Amino acid sequence: MVQLQYPLEETSYQLLEKIGAGVSATVYKAICLPMNSSIVAIKAIDLDRYRAEFDDIRQEAKTMSLLSHPNILKAYCSFTVNRHLWVVMPFMSAGSLQSIITSSYPDGLSESCIAFVLKETLNALLYLHDQGHLHRDIKSGNILIDSDGSVKLADFGVSASIYESKHTSSCSSSSSSMMLKGVAGTPYWMAPEVIHSHTGYSFKADIWSFGITALELAHGRPPLSHLPPSKSLVMRITSRFQISDYEKRNKEKNKKFSKNFREMVASCLDQDPAKRPTAEKLLKHPFFKNCKNADFLVKNLLRGLLTVEQRFKKNGLDCPSPIHQESSEEELSSVGDDPIVKHRRISGWNFNEEDLQFSPVFPTERVESLIKSHEEQEDEFIVKQVRFGGESFFHDLEFGHQQTDSVQAQTTPVAHDEVITVQSTIDEPEAERSNVVGMVSDMGANGNLGSDDPGSRIVTVPQSMVSTLTWLKRSLDDERQIVSSLLANCGAGEAVGVTDTSREEQLQKTIEQLSLELKEEKRKNAALEMVVGSLRKRVQDQ
Amino acid sequence: MKSLFKSKPRTPADLVRQTRELLIFVDSNSNTREDKRQEKMAELTKLLRELKSILYGNSESEPVAEACAQLTQEFFRENTLRLVIICLPKLSLESRKDATQVVANLQRQQVHSRLIASDYLEANKDLLDLLVSGYEDPDMALHYGAMLRECIRHQSIARYVLESDHMKKFFDYIQLPNFDIASDASATFKELLTRHKSTVAAFLTKNYDWFFAEYNSKLLESTNYLTRRQAIKLLGDMLLDRSNSAIMMRYVSSKDNLRILMTLLRESSKNIQIEAFHVFKLFAANQNKPPEIVSILVANRDKLLRFFRDFKTEKEDEQFDADKAQVVKEIAALEPRDRS
Repeated sequence: MVQLQYPLEETSYQLLEKIGAGVSATVYKAICLPMNSSIVAIKAIDLDRYRAEFDDIRQEAKTMSLLSHPNILKAYCSFTVNRHLWVVMPFMSAGSLQSIITSSYPDGLSESCIAFVLKETLNALLYLHDQGHLHRDIKSGNILIDSDGSVKLADFGVSASIYESKHTSSCSSSSSSMMLKGVAGTPYWMAPEVIHSHTGYSFKADIWSFGITALELAHGRPPLSHLPPSKSLVMRITSRFQISDYEKRNKEKNKKFSKNFREMVASCLDQDPAKRPTAEKLLKHPFFKNCKNADFLVKNLLRGLLTVEQRFKKNGLDCPSPIHQESSEEELSSVGDDPIVKHRRISGWNFNEEDLQFSPVFPTERVESLIKSHEEQEDEFIVKQVRFGGESFFHDLEFGHQQTDSVQAQTTPVAHDEVITVQSTIDEPEAERSNVVGMVSDMGANGNLGSDDPGSRIVTVPQSMVSTLTWLKRSLDDERQIVSSLLANCGAGEAVGVTDTSREEQLQKTIEQLSLELKEEKRKNAALEMVVGSLRKRVQDQ
Repeated sequence: MKSLFKSKPRTPADLVRQTRELLIFVDSNSNTREDKRQEKMAELTKLLRELKSILYGNSESEPVAEACAQLTQEFFRENTLRLVIICLPKLSLESRKDATQVVANLQRQQVHSRLIASDYLEANKDLLDLLVSGYEDPDMALHYGAMLRECIRHQSIARYVLESDHMKKFFDYIQLPNFDIASDASATFKELLTRHKSTVAAFLTKNYDWFFAEYNSKLLESTNYLTRRQAIKLLGDMLLDRSNSAIMMRYVSSKDNLRILMTLLRESSKNIQIEAFHVFKLFAANQNKPPEIVSILVANRDKLLRFFRDFKTEKEDEQFDADKAQVVKEIAALEPRDRS
C-alpha cells in the first residue's frame, strides 16, 4: 500500500474553519494545497502549554503513524509550526458520535445505527488488542463518522501498549506482564478494575468502556453521568453498579431495545473482567449479525445534521466558558497512588467535549461551577474512599459504637442509621451521603480520643470536633443548595421535553432527607458544643 | 489458530530456526513466483508473532523463562538479528512492528545470567550503523529507532554509538521536519547522553569542543522552538548530573555560553525561560567565576536583578524560589574588579 506523502510545511495548507477547541489545542478544517486542495483536519497543539517533557506526545504520534486499520483514525503526518505541533488527519465530516447525539439525537440512536457503528468500533478494537494496544478511552466522543458513513476510532492520547508501556513490569519478573496499572480514561466509561488500578487491568477494560458506550449511544448519555465525574467513580466502587437499575430508570423514555442488545451490553459490563468477552468473541454476538452498512448510516443518521463547523460555532456561542473546557480536558487525570498524569491528546478532535457539562439532560452538570469549590474540598475524601473502598469507615463506626461515653451514646446510633440509608438507597446522592458518613465517623474517632484521655487533650480535640462539625454543616448547606438548584433545573429539563418524574420524586425525597440530616447535625453540633463548654469549664476549674 | 499451533509443538529454538530460514529466503530470492513468496511471507508473519508471544506472554499465559532463554540463545547463535534488521524493509507493517518488539525484548533476556545480546552486538557493531542511519528513511525510522534505543541500554554499545561519527548526525536528525521521527531521534539522543553516567562523562570530556559548539549553534540557537526547548532541558540534565561536574565547571566558565543562556532567559516561552534559569544559575553560583563572566554579569546587573524580580514559576516552587534568591544574592554582591 503506497501511502501518499503529505507535505510537512505550514505553507502547503490553508486553514478554513475551526471545528473543535480545547485548552491547549484547536482543530481546524483545512485544505492541503499541493494535493488538489483535498480536505483534511489539522489539530494544532500549543506546545508551550505543555509543561512536561514530550514523551507521551511522542508515543501518541508514534502510535498514530504505526497503526493501520480502516476503522482507526490515522495521522497523515505531523510537524511543528513555531510553538505548535500540527497533526494532519483525515477530515471526518460528520464529527464524533457524541456531537451527533447532542446536536440531533439527545435521546439516543436507533438500534440499527448502534449495531453498525459498534461493529465498526469493535473491528478497530480487535485490531488494537491484537497489536497489544489498549485504547483506554472508548466513548462516543472518540468515535468519528465521515460523510460516507465510515466509522473511525480516534484519540490514542491515553492508549498504552502492553509491550512498551512503562506501566508494565518487565517480562522476566514474576508479576503479571500483560497488565497495566496506571489509571487513565474518562470516569463514566472506566471499568471498575481500572479505578482499582492497583490490581491491574488489561484488554477487558476496553470491553467495559465499550459496553458503557453502547448504553450511551442507546440513551444519549452514559450511566451515572448525572453525577460529577469523581462521584461516579465512587459510586462504581461503593455500590456495585447494576445496569438493570440504569435500564429501569430509562424505561420511561419508551425506548425498547432488543434482547440481543441487552445481552451484549450485559456481557461487557460484567464486574469480573475475565467473564467479559474478548473483542473477537463479541463480534460474533448475534446483535452484530445482519448489521446494516455505511449507506444505511448515511441515510438514517447523517441526513440533515449540522456540519461540524456549524456545531462548533453554535457551541461556541452557547458555552464560551474556558473553565468548563478545562475541566472537560482535565477529566482524564488519574486518581490514587499513581502520579497524576494529565494528558494532552494529539489525535482526538475535542469535539464538543464540554457538551457533557452543558446538555440539558444532565442537570447536575450544569451547576458544576456552583459545586466547584465544594467539590475540591471533597475530593480529598473521595480519593480516600477510592483507596480504602467501603470498609474503613464502617470499621470506624463500629469502633465508635462500642463506646459508652455520653457523647458517643448520643451520636453513634444516628450515624449508624445513616449507614443503613446509604446501603439501601440506590439514588444519586449516595456518594455525597457516604462522605457525610465518613465525616461522622472521623468525628466519632476524635470524640473517643477526647473521652479516653480527658486530661491532656481536652482543649485541642473538642476544638477540632467543632471545626469538623462546622465543616459538616457547611457541606450539608452546600448540598442543600445544590439539590434545590437541581430541582429548579429539573423543571427546566421538563420544558425542553425531558420528562423524568420519578427522578423529581427522588430528588424531593433527597431534599427532605438532607434537611432532616441537617437538622440532626445541627442538634448534634449544639449538644457537642455544650459538652465542649462543660469540658472547658472543668479544665478551668482544675 | 493457537490451538492449531498446539497440535504440532515446535520448540522455541525450532521457531527461531524456521524464522531464520524464511528471512534468508526473503533476503535473497527476489525472483521467485509471487504466490510462493506471499506464502512464505505469511509464514514469516506468523512466526514473528509466535516469537513475540513467547517473549511477552499472551492474554492466557505468562512468558516462561526457560523458553525465553532457549529462544534468545538460538537467536544469537547465528546471524538472525542481522537478517531481521536487513529484511525489515521487506516485511509488512505488522511484521515490522512484531520484529521490532522481539528485538527490543531480546536485549533484556539473560542466558546463564549474561546479556548475550550485548555480546552479539559488540561483535557486530556495523548493525548499529544501520540502525542509526534508519533515521534517514521515513518508513524505517520508527522501527530502527525503537530497536536502537533498546540496544544502547548496553553500556558498551552506547559507548560505540557515542564515539562514532553518527553522533554528529543526531544534531540533524532531531530537527527533521517529520515530528514522529524527530522526536524519536531526540529520545535516543537523550538516552545516549544520560543513561550511562561514566561513559557519558568520558565522552563529553573527550569531545567537549566540537560537541558543545554543535550543541550551542545547532540546538540552543536553533530557529525551531521545540529543538531549543528540548535542548535546554537536556543541557540542564547533563550539567546538573554529579558525574558531569567537571564538564559543568568548564561550561559555566565560557562567556559565549553565558551569552547564549542569557538570550534564552529572554525567550517569550516561560518553559524555555525556566529551563534556561536552571543552567544560568550555575554560572552565577560558580565560586570561581572567571573575570570575563564577572564582567558580563556586572555589566548586566541591574537588568538581571530587575528581570529576576518579576521572574516566577506558574505554580509555587520552593526550590526554584530558593535558587532564585541565591542567584540574586550572588549577582547583587558582585563588584567590578580586575583582580580575582
